[in-house]
Amino acid sequence: MTKPSSKNSLISYLETAPFPLPLGVELDKTAKRFSKDESARKMAGPKINVYVLSSFLTDFLLDHLVFMLARRGFNATVTAAEYGVIGAALLDKTHQLHKSQPDVILILPSFRDLAHCPPLGSSLDEAHAAVSKEVAVWGCLWKNLAAPAVQMTFDTPSTRQLSELDGLTPGGLTHHIRTVNLALPVGAPSSVTFIDADTLTQNIGQILWNDAYLYQLCKQPFSMTALPFIADAFAAQVASLLGRSRRVLVLDLDNTLWGGVIGDDGLANIELGPETPEGEAFTAFQIYATQLRKRGVILAVCSKNDIDIALLPFREHPSMVIKESDIACFVANFSDKPTNIRVIADNLNLGLETMVFVDDNPVERELMRRELPQVLTVEMPDNPAIYVAALDACNAFPLTAMTHDDISRADSYFARNQTQAIMTTTSDIDGFLQSLNPKMYVEPIRLANQARIQQLIAKTNQFKLNPKIFNVDELTEGTFEVLAVRLTDRLQDYGIVSVAVLAPDHNGSKDVIIKNWVMSCRVFSRRLEFAVFEEIFRLAKHKGAVKIKLTYTPSGRNHLIADLLEKIGFEPLPNSKIFSHSIDVCEGAIIQENHYMETFYL
Amino acid sequence: MNQEDILRALTEIFRNVFDDDKLILTRQTTSNEIEEWDSLNQIKLILECEKTFELRLKPREINTLHDIGGMVDHIHKLIG
Repeated sequence: MTKPSSKNSLISYLETAPFPLPLGVELDKTAKRFSKDESARKMAGPKINVYVLSSFLTDFLLDHLVFMLARRGFNATVTAAEYGVIGAALLDKTHQLHKSQPDVILILPSFRDLAHCPPLGSSLDEAHAAVSKEVAVWGCLWKNLAAPAVQMTFDTPSTRQLSELDGLTPGGLTHHIRTVNLALPVGAPSSVTFIDADTLTQNIGQILWNDAYLYQLCKQPFSMTALPFIADAFAAQVASLLGRSRRVLVLDLDNTLWGGVIGDDGLANIELGPETPEGEAFTAFQIYATQLRKRGVILAVCSKNDIDIALLPFREHPSMVIKESDIACFVANFSDKPTNIRVIADNLNLGLETMVFVDDNPVERELMRRELPQVLTVEMPDNPAIYVAALDACNAFPLTAMTHDDISRADSYFARNQTQAIMTTTSDIDGFLQSLNPKMYVEPIRLANQARIQQLIAKTNQFKLNPKIFNVDELTEGTFEVLAVRLTDRLQDYGIVSVAVLAPDHNGSKDVIIKNWVMSCRVFSRRLEFAVFEEIFRLAKHKGAVKIKLTYTPSGRNHLIADLLEKIGFEPLPNSKIFSHSIDVCEGAIIQENHYMETFYL
Repeated sequence: MNQEDILRALTEIFRNVFDDDKLILTRQTTSNEIEEWDSLNQIKLILECEKTFELRLKPREINTLHDIGGMVDHIHKLIG
């Protein structure tokens, strides 16, 4: 029978190794203690046998493997062959490897094993032939695998005999390593999956990866600090291989998907979208989550909110990337989150050990870890700018192979078609602008955009007719007609980037006055100004105006307005800052250049 | 640092590497008396000593030492 304390002792071990793992964390002692603590190990999950084959000393790595595998939900027994016998162990049927019947084999080769690096001055063909030879060696070895394997690609030495050319030219060792690494997965049977040594090295840093002194002392090529990261990279891949990848991303809402609290701040004041730096960060996080969904991760929402309020941004905020239809299970109420995550699991008919929980609130995270340690709770940073990095560093959804189930086929076909279209039309500026597939959305002022509209007029300096600014009340009380323009293209949503505030002239005519007009400098050179003026022109004409008037006040920074006014047919009234545009005279001639904008009205 | 200080610092290092807060070192202690003192832990001891005393230990010199007393004197000689 398990001791009542063993769940708590497992939790306290795992607390020293949160997701994501902090760089530079020293886990030697914890890993060693955990390896010896049988009752805590039993709590971690199902029992598996792991066999390690390597070209260097892995003794210090073994405790870390046991610990990181526990962190990924296994009670692992890890055995290693003496180092330097990868080939011999696989080929010799009497070797202990074959008798021990492992569930998974880990293979850690070294660049020092490479036998066919082409000589200096080799041609590309000779380099390819050398790569084929290396892969052929592995082809023979892989045939003798009696269990699925996770293999690390060849690491790269930190020294380069050919300087910058070492990685870029046939005959360089780095070049050889890179091309072999790309060829290995292609030549490998489906029972072998890989860890990308280059990415791992980059994440840890070359200095921690290559430790010449330790290699000299005991044939361990990397520093002790690198061990937990190497172990976890293997543990994640083992989890995926043995069908214990996580499947569901459970998201909090307030301050996780957007900045602020929807229930308090309201639709107009939550931060989301390209208009503010914080809003930008939350958008990036939503995009990342959407990308996960596209490759098969299930999205769920777990929020302490009234359901109607929680759904409001999904239904009405123009910058929401994640759609209501992307969420497989939407739970918003005031129950505690561990209870709600059980509801989500039941609803989706999936286990708690498939769940990843993301919440900006440290109290909620702590509670989740205590109550449901089998849920992977991500340690979210304070700064939303690094939300994506934090979730990504967890490697919570490891992949061994892409299946058709994982990929939304329609999406990838769509992308391919787009690329072809770009390749055929980007030869000149008109073709380029056209290829961006720009879309302009003309929006009326409303709760969700009024703060941004007010702020854009106040903050803009360059594209701005005059110093007149407005407060939100002035803008919304109906005195003015406000045109807010959002720009999107193939690459991104720029948010609201131009605003024109219009008013009737009070001289008895039906003429229209542009009280002010601003445009964000982020969208200069996109010819958006012509499209916006077309809108103003269309609107004025519809109202029966004969003239459009505006006041242009040079400020020293808004000189580009002067050129534009002339281009679109405004003429200054004598001795005044007022410019006038005669609609009848200029009809049909206002736009000399095509702006390629597709216009939508919201 | 005198020999006593070095012995005290060494005790800390040994307790840490062998994860044993009650471990007591004397000048007479040898590797035979500490069960887990194998070649792997020897590496850890060397790394920890180098960090703590800010010096480089040559494996060949270490291997000629017979007991903790020899280690203390060796370190004392190196750090002056």
